[in-house]
Amino acid sequence: MHEQAQLRLKKDEVQKLGAEVFVVLAMDHYRTRVFKEENLVLSTFKNPFTGEPSLVFGTALSDPAGSASALYGVSRKYVRGEAWVENDPCWFVIDRKGTLTCAYPPNFSGANFYEKDIDHVLEELRKAAEE
Amino acid sequence: MTKHFLCVPVMLSAVLALSSPGRAENPSPLESYRNLKYPPTRENSDRGWQERVQVEFDIVNSAELGALQAGLKDQSPFVRSIAARALGIRGDKDSAEALAELVKTDPEAMVRVRAVESLGLLKMQPAVIALAKKDKSDAVQWVARMAAGQLKSETDFREPVQKAYEAGIKPDKLGVARVGQPAPDFTALTSDGKPFKLSTVLGRKPILIYFAVFDG
Repeated sequence: MHEQAQLRLKKDEVQKLGAEVFVVLAMDHYRTRVFKEENLVLSTFKNPFTGEPSLVFGTALSDPAGSASALYGVSRKYVRGEAWVENDPCWFVIDRKGTLTCAYPPNFSGANFYEKDIDHVLEELRKAAEE
Repeated sequence: MTKHFLCVPVMLSAVLALSSPGRAENPSPLESYRNLKYPPTRENSDRGWQERVQVEFDIVNSAELGALQAGLKDQSPFVRSIAARALGIRGDKDSAEALAELVKTDPEAMVRVRAVESLGLLKMQPAVIALAKKDKSDAVQWVARMAAGQLKSETDFREPVQKAYEAGIKPDKLGVARVGQPAPDFTALTSDGKPFKLSTVLGRKPILIYFAVFDG
């Protein structure tokens, strides 16, 4: 969710590049809609996005059986703690010709890495937009 | 004579059991899951996922309902979990009470998560779903909140999940996305349940895709 929140701060830049953004969740479309429309995670503790009603500006997609996730190699389906983890989060950049130009798993190793992740992804998106 | 006569069926059964390749070579989908080389534990997060995906598809699409119902009482929490998930996706309303019992009594949160998730898809046992919102596990509480939301809606959230599984998955398509290669096309649903195909936008504009988890 932090990744989406950070990307939303760069929404204008993404739109200038003429890019389209998708967020894929390996879950049914009800939960995908909640993910898109409600700030359920970051509203629960103090952070720069606590008061925001929604954090996702891209198109949210439901991948209920995890087929697309498996195609892109991010499916995992294991138990972490008490919960099931369907996917490993990962960014993919695709250029104007339809070629996959970047696969980038977010770092998640520190509070500031979300910004660095998005900066990196946007740099790759700029290159893809020039192709 | 009588003694020999009685022995024949026993001997025949033994011979058939030894010669029949079916049981050993074609284990049931649940048996395959029980015997996964890399069970779905955190240590195995990066290995064996392809097999876990394929077996899950097999279980949801083709496991016998009776076997799935029996699976809810399996010793392995992984088997109870996948059986609970499959019964919800298959729309087996006869299992609602057994799923509710799991939500209330199973010691493993990973099982209660799947059971309450399935009750949400089945739109059954609202009192148990409400109870699960106060479960000691945050993960169960979270899924229960989602299930409670599904109960309030008239939309069928289960059928699209089942259809997505029924579409199947080919082993040679797992993890084929490669940098420098054409991006693989896929189908998905928008958040309001409409079909989406990546190829409708591929090759027209730069695209950014994030495969997310609910909290990341």
